[in-house]
Amino acid sequence: MASGKGGINRRDFLKIAAAAAAGLGAAGCHVDYPSFNHAEQQVLYSSTTSDPRTFNPILVTDTASGQVTGRLFDGLVNVNPLTTLPEPALAKSWDIADGGRTITFHLLRDVKWSDGRPFTAHDVVFTLATIYDPEVPNSSRPTLTVDGKPIVAEAPDDYTVVMRIPKPFAPLLYAIGFSIIPAHVLEPALRAGSFNRTWNINTPPRKLVGLGPYDLARYVPAQMMQFRRNPDYWMRVERDKVLPRLRGETVLIVQDQNAAYLKFMAGQTDVYSPRPEEVADLLDKAKSLGITVQKIGIDTGSLFFCFNRNPRHYVRAGRTNPKLKWFTDLNFLRAMAHSVDKQGMIDLCFHGLAVPAVSDVSPANKIFHNPNLKDYAYDLKLAAGLLESAGYHRAGSGERLDPEGNRIEFDLTTNTGVQTRDQMCAMFLQDLKTLGIKVNYRPLEFTTLVDKLTNSFDWDCVLIGFTGTIEPNNGANFLRSSGNLHLWNPNQKTPATPWEAKIDQLLDEGASVMDIKARAPYYWQIQQILHDQLPVIETVRQIAYDAYKTSLENFRDTVWGRYRPELIQFRES
Amino acid sequence: MSAAAPRTDIRLEAPPPERQASLGAKLRREWRLASWPVRLSTLCLAVFYILALGSPVIAPYNPTRQYRSLPDCPPMALHLAAPSEWRRGFFYAYPMRMTDAVRRTYAEERGVRTWVHLFSRGHIFTTAPGAPPYFLLGSDALGRDLFSRIVYGSRVSMFIGILGVAITFSLGITIGALSGYVGGLLDNLIMRWSEIEMSLPSFYFLLALAAIIPSGMSTVKTFFMIVAIMSFIGWAGFARVIRGMTASVRSVPYVEAARALGASRWRILRRHVIPSVMGYAIVAATLSIPGFILGESALSLLGLGIQEPAASWGNLLAQAEDVHALAHYPWILLPGVFIFLAVMSFNFLGDHLRDRLDPSHLR
Repeated sequence: MASGKGGINRRDFLKIAAAAAAGLGAAGCHVDYPSFNHAEQQVLYSSTTSDPRTFNPILVTDTASGQVTGRLFDGLVNVNPLTTLPEPALAKSWDIADGGRTITFHLLRDVKWSDGRPFTAHDVVFTLATIYDPEVPNSSRPTLTVDGKPIVAEAPDDYTVVMRIPKPFAPLLYAIGFSIIPAHVLEPALRAGSFNRTWNINTPPRKLVGLGPYDLARYVPAQMMQFRRNPDYWMRVERDKVLPRLRGETVLIVQDQNAAYLKFMAGQTDVYSPRPEEVADLLDKAKSLGITVQKIGIDTGSLFFCFNRNPRHYVRAGRTNPKLKWFTDLNFLRAMAHSVDKQGMIDLCFHGLAVPAVSDVSPANKIFHNPNLKDYAYDLKLAAGLLESAGYHRAGSGERLDPEGNRIEFDLTTNTGVQTRDQMCAMFLQDLKTLGIKVNYRPLEFTTLVDKLTNSFDWDCVLIGFTGTIEPNNGANFLRSSGNLHLWNPNQKTPATPWEAKIDQLLDEGASVMDIKARAPYYWQIQQILHDQLPVIETVRQIAYDAYKTSLENFRDTVWGRYRPELIQFRES
Repeated sequence: MSAAAPRTDIRLEAPPPERQASLGAKLRREWRLASWPVRLSTLCLAVFYILALGSPVIAPYNPTRQYRSLPDCPPMALHLAAPSEWRRGFFYAYPMRMTDAVRRTYAEERGVRTWVHLFSRGHIFTTAPGAPPYFLLGSDALGRDLFSRIVYGSRVSMFIGILGVAITFSLGITIGALSGYVGGLLDNLIMRWSEIEMSLPSFYFLLALAAIIPSGMSTVKTFFMIVAIMSFIGWAGFARVIRGMTASVRSVPYVEAARALGASRWRILRRHVIPSVMGYAIVAATLSIPGFILGESALSLLGLGIQEPAASWGNLLAQAEDVHALAHYPWILLPGVFIFLAVMSFNFLGDHLRDRLDPSHLR
């Protein structure tokens, strides 16, 4: 509908209304629903699958909450998703002295919290103190612990923070991007011991005080979250412009992925991350829907089969389950690796939009990905040969037996509700069946599965995915033998195998080299060890796509996150 | 003994024996009495049970065999060969080739023919072992023959009802009749217990029970477990009705007459009480089979029933949950058609049986 620059006066409005009423009868009449006219409002609509669990950025453990706090809060340093290098944010610069043991951050001046109070170095020191508080459960603490010791931070003046670490620690700049919280609001709560209950999802949104680009205006559980531009946001590109350029964002909570897809197709949301099977449809309809579909790259995570080699699961009443022997037998594991039909999984489960995964670090991580590993080719004959030569023969009935004569049979699990994983398991199961190995497949609800993996250790083989990190040391929980996510045998007191000891050593060495180029070989070697010893059998990595309204400017997603989201805006028509 | 001695004792004159019609004649009579939906339903069910019993012969392929180059392949057309080629086979199809992996579009390869052999290698129809497969109803996302999966899935879906009903009704009739006939404290105890059982929220109870099935169990055992669980929940309501009917039949004139004539308790139960309950039981059983079929579908849809790679109509239909799949591969809805037909058929048949057997409707 026509709308002049100066708005519509009442008479024009009546004319337009009359014309619209007359036009309604005619075919092809186009009615703009005001609530869908996101461009005019400059409000970006998107959808997410689950409700946040907390608004407290320190306590966040799930992605849904992280999406919210990421908009409300900011950190000292941001990682640029294009270069994967740390860039100044609330800290405008930093100096490294004392051979990497002392880092001095110079903070931005005149930054205001959303309640108008000034942001100072005290807030940073307070945030670190909160993270190290043993009463506060949080996931930042392990990545900020060097040699078992916390980082000592002090504020010589309001705009300087000095951090001291026991030894040079290269990953620090990647770990220091945690959200800064306001000391003047939360310090009393921490002192009173009620910090873990503050800023939960029942807190009225106006009570949240942040430094981020947006304020939370409204939260309706299971329906939507409305964000409003923070008028005092610290970031400036040109002196007279206000950032972020959008006036707000609305995130609809849509649990069903099908519904989220239909909402995007209907224009109710402006951005969407399609599943592989939806990509072709969106590409075909891109013109008519006014959307752009873009390939953003290879997924950063890793999706793998893992065999449990935790003695706590197998040794019962003095007897050892023969499974432990199979799952620590390299020949058996090699046979398993050769039985994973990666190309089939790509074609069948990902509609061709995936690549075989060789290393546990994604090629998207250009610095730390080891490109020299040779994949285990899908070859069931070779797998059968490996099993035969290792003494796993087939009985007359076709069942495969181990050298002691036990039938080879194990359980395979993954989390319920993800069709691609169901299908990948069905394929693996089918290939092992042709080798005479019986696999019982039973997917489990996600929280039950996590409990089995981290607490009861009652599982044989699992297909599970981990998200990737730019800084490989942030995955130390998984790599280190003492880590609680060292899936195949977690929380070891001393490394169970020489190669696990070697990985621990490489992690220590890699973290103490300050030059990023010089660090890479340590992590390449870790990938080589994982590839050779096969505690995890990599499968495939999805090629990620995104789709967004073509009227959006400066919209650029990468696999590591959205590039400069504060510059996004709808084109003025 | 005088031949002309008058008979002084009064004997109960036995009625002349009913002319026993042969089974075939009876069935023919029933068929004539049935309306066309009932006839259709009977045929439908007969076909489904044949599918279930003859799965290995009727299904052309192993239901778990994955043709990995042919995911979501559409149903293929069957062509009749020219009479000159009948020595090789009567029917053939053109093999499909995927032309676009992202969009999953297929093209027929007109140059090649896949011969569909009838009655060969133990199947009604199949293709030669090395030859490309012939998908009558298309394939699923892993390239498995949907027709074979539906045929094997019918074993679960068609027998879960029968088995479940057998357990529910033997439990229900025994407990109900016992309760109604004996009465007193036992009656009271049984009825209160059944009330407790009926007040369990059945669906959540099922979910909880399905979650504790140990992981090493085979599909068949899991299947029996589910049937047992469902029956265990289902008997109470039925037993209450049977108990009520038994109690009321106890005092109707013809039972009292039989008792007055000195018939034994067992004879009364067998000749008068159970037959009067049986009509209801058969009708209720037929009408409750669809409940089991749908219950299994719901559980499988939620991932708690029959697990991959085994097939049941319910878990086959679970694939159709996806809007995208439904829009592009509509043949994955076919298992739903089978469920629909089976449930409708049982309902029609049940209604008809009620008309025929329920004493209050007898002409």
